[in-house]
Amino acid sequence: MPADKTLDLDLDAIAAESRQVAATVKPDSGPWDVIVVGSGAAGGMAAFQLATAGINVLVLDAGRLINHRKEYRTMEWPYASPRRSRLPPDYRAITAAEYNFFDRPYGNHPELAKYKKVASYAGNAFTRNWVVNEKEHPTTGTPYAWVRARVLGGKTNFWGRVALRYGPLEFKAASRDGFDVDWPIGYEDVAPYYDKVDLLLGVSGTREGLAQIPDGIYQRPIKLNCVEVHFKRTIARMGRRYIPGRCGVTTEGVLNNKYRARCLGRGRCGRGCDINAAFHSPNALILPARDTGNLTLRPYSVVSEVILDPATGRAAGVRVIDANTRQVMDFKARVVVLGAGTLDSTRILLNSRSARHPNGLGNSSGLLGCYLSEHHMGPRASGFIPMRMGTEPTLDDGRPTGPYLPRFRNITDKHPDFIRGYHFQGGGGAQEYPGFAHDIPGFGRAFKSSVRKHYPALIGIGGFGEVLPRKENRVSLDATVKDAWGIPVLRFDYRFSDNEIKMARDMADTAEEMLKAAGAQDIKVEREMLPPGWSIHEIGTARMGDDPKTSVTTPFCRLHDVPNVYLADAAPFVSGGTQNTTWSILAMCWRTMDHLKEEMRAGDV
Amino acid sequence: MPIGPVVTRRTALKALATGAGAVTLLPWLSEEGLAAFAEIQQAKAPPRLLVLTSAQYQTVEALVEAIIPADERSPGAREARVADYIDLLLGEAPAFLKQRWLNGLSALDAESTSRFGSPFRPLPAAQVEALLADISRDELRKEDESQPPQVDTLLGEVRRPDPRQTPLQVFFADTKQATIHGYYTSEIGIHQELRYQGNKMLAEFVGCETVDGHDCPHCGQKAEG
Repeated sequence: MPADKTLDLDLDAIAAESRQVAATVKPDSGPWDVIVVGSGAAGGMAAFQLATAGINVLVLDAGRLINHRKEYRTMEWPYASPRRSRLPPDYRAITAAEYNFFDRPYGNHPELAKYKKVASYAGNAFTRNWVVNEKEHPTTGTPYAWVRARVLGGKTNFWGRVALRYGPLEFKAASRDGFDVDWPIGYEDVAPYYDKVDLLLGVSGTREGLAQIPDGIYQRPIKLNCVEVHFKRTIARMGRRYIPGRCGVTTEGVLNNKYRARCLGRGRCGRGCDINAAFHSPNALILPARDTGNLTLRPYSVVSEVILDPATGRAAGVRVIDANTRQVMDFKARVVVLGAGTLDSTRILLNSRSARHPNGLGNSSGLLGCYLSEHHMGPRASGFIPMRMGTEPTLDDGRPTGPYLPRFRNITDKHPDFIRGYHFQGGGGAQEYPGFAHDIPGFGRAFKSSVRKHYPALIGIGGFGEVLPRKENRVSLDATVKDAWGIPVLRFDYRFSDNEIKMARDMADTAEEMLKAAGAQDIKVEREMLPPGWSIHEIGTARMGDDPKTSVTTPFCRLHDVPNVYLADAAPFVSGGTQNTTWSILAMCWRTMDHLKEEMRAGDV
Repeated sequence: MPIGPVVTRRTALKALATGAGAVTLLPWLSEEGLAAFAEIQQAKAPPRLLVLTSAQYQTVEALVEAIIPADERSPGAREARVADYIDLLLGEAPAFLKQRWLNGLSALDAESTSRFGSPFRPLPAAQVEALLADISRDELRKEDESQPPQVDTLLGEVRRPDPRQTPLQVFFADTKQATIHGYYTSEIGIHQELRYQGNKMLAEFVGCETVDGHDCPHCGQKAEG
């Protein structure tokens, strides 16, 4: 008889399979043309592009394989567990207040040290087997909520699915306001690749013709529910838009992939979509790449550094520490592609020290690790729309995303307090769990009927704002602290500047203003910024440029200093606007791989 | 990351860190224990208690039912077995929280006895109402930002304590928050009380019917003109 079904996932079997697969892939099992580090959005897309082009690829992931049938618990009710989707007692997720209050490494703090596993804030009943244990993966320096997942597919197993394009406002931001530099490429360079990603993976949305958020090639859009239609009509009078969310979920199916089905409107995609309508790298990219016969996958492979061939000055391969056996092995290939995530790819390069590259590989500019950027979050507002108060609830949350409120600051006007801008996400209606009930005072019949009266009427929006790319916001290797595999950890030196703080104030003000305009009742406004890193949209620590003195990679994401090392993730991004990052990682990676394929064909690498 | 309709920070924290609920003190429920627990709830069998005595359990049943009572629409927290959920939370709570809560339960009976000459459980409705009205005053606490955050509720919320609250106020607020969670995650709370419509297979998400060009029967909004 199965016990707590929410815990009974038989992970021993998938772990054993992963160990067995890892044991069969040895340094002499090749040869491989390209080593790809990581298997999420970046590594997955890199592997898919290369393998389908007939190139032999070795994908190294630090975590185990994943069994999506068991691990994506999409439709599980909270009462399936007597713990009601709460974490087991030996497991703890760090909370917002603790990130800023506790010293680093977080796992050492007495309040957290007593737990067996301490996860980032993203650790919950559904993600807890994917996100890393902070005790094994510490960080030092300033507070930073660094969310990492070590499992096949990485964070794409539970990503937020918001699929947006950067546009001319991002690529040429410096030309508009004079801050920092433009990207060395333009929207026209990347647009064809956004199109390709849209068609390969499927994206839902509507064409709106907005300058601040370019349109894609969309499948059936996700409709607004009643309170959202009211909100949309209200803010339209203020010249603002509230449009169907753009999400990386196929609502009409994709004909190119037998591992995915179209969206069935269950919601709950952040637990992993068990029919893979939502984009998750394992089924969307890794399995099709494997089916070409050109992909070798080695799980449990922790990459510590890129190995340099001193004779040629080129990368010879990577050094791997087996996560279980601790055996150290060197895997060789013609080309190394890093897609471990912006910060972990940067860490690998910083740790690749040699006589020729004493400060890390690709770091002759001294800028590797600098210009860390992401999105600041926190300011938000919620309230209740009177027209739905006391009505019977409708099915409001059976969809992969809520609506989207595009940026409206510093597009045609110029805000006196800050440059760049922010957008809002969020929606309303009846959600399974009435979280607002915790803020309703009282008890008894009045309390109970108040909860159900408010239940269909809730609406709330939260902002994402650009963090200016600044050289002094950086990561470096800590001189003493190492992770569980003996690899130096990242030290953060990252703070919000005046521009972010002023922008956050405006976010809270405009959120409140719009809810008031919509006639919402019991408006609650949160003005406090969430800890750095909360957005999980980190970019910029190996920025691209034409000049090797002021940038780390070429405009094709190849290290200036080493001609056969590429970055597939967001580390080369110069600035990140307000847009969620994943879709741009996928498009940029495809572009980089097209370039790499051509270089390989021409014999340049 | 996704952001839904977040309310206050309290709710946001709850949504983002679903019950950091947690403890180190063994024994917590084994897998077999959890299975038995689930069966008990489904079978309407008598509880198999981890922490509470039978008498305490009955007091908790009366208290949670007073917080979320049965009414014409749906059963209340008693039938949703919220008292069993609170017993499980106590069984997995840090020792100091468990003790604080048990002290609070005793204080409830003491307060009731001093005011009405009877412990809490058999009190008539009017006296329950009067007592809870008093101890629920200022229940939505302000946090003292100078204090370190800590696990401070049965649900495992990480908060900063509010030193101005009396032990009985702390007890009520903690029990009420746990009751809300236990009730609205139960089958009764989700399906009978809230009549939540989601988590089913849809050909297509419907949304507000104005989107499809007609007047919407649910909200009364007119189709786009």
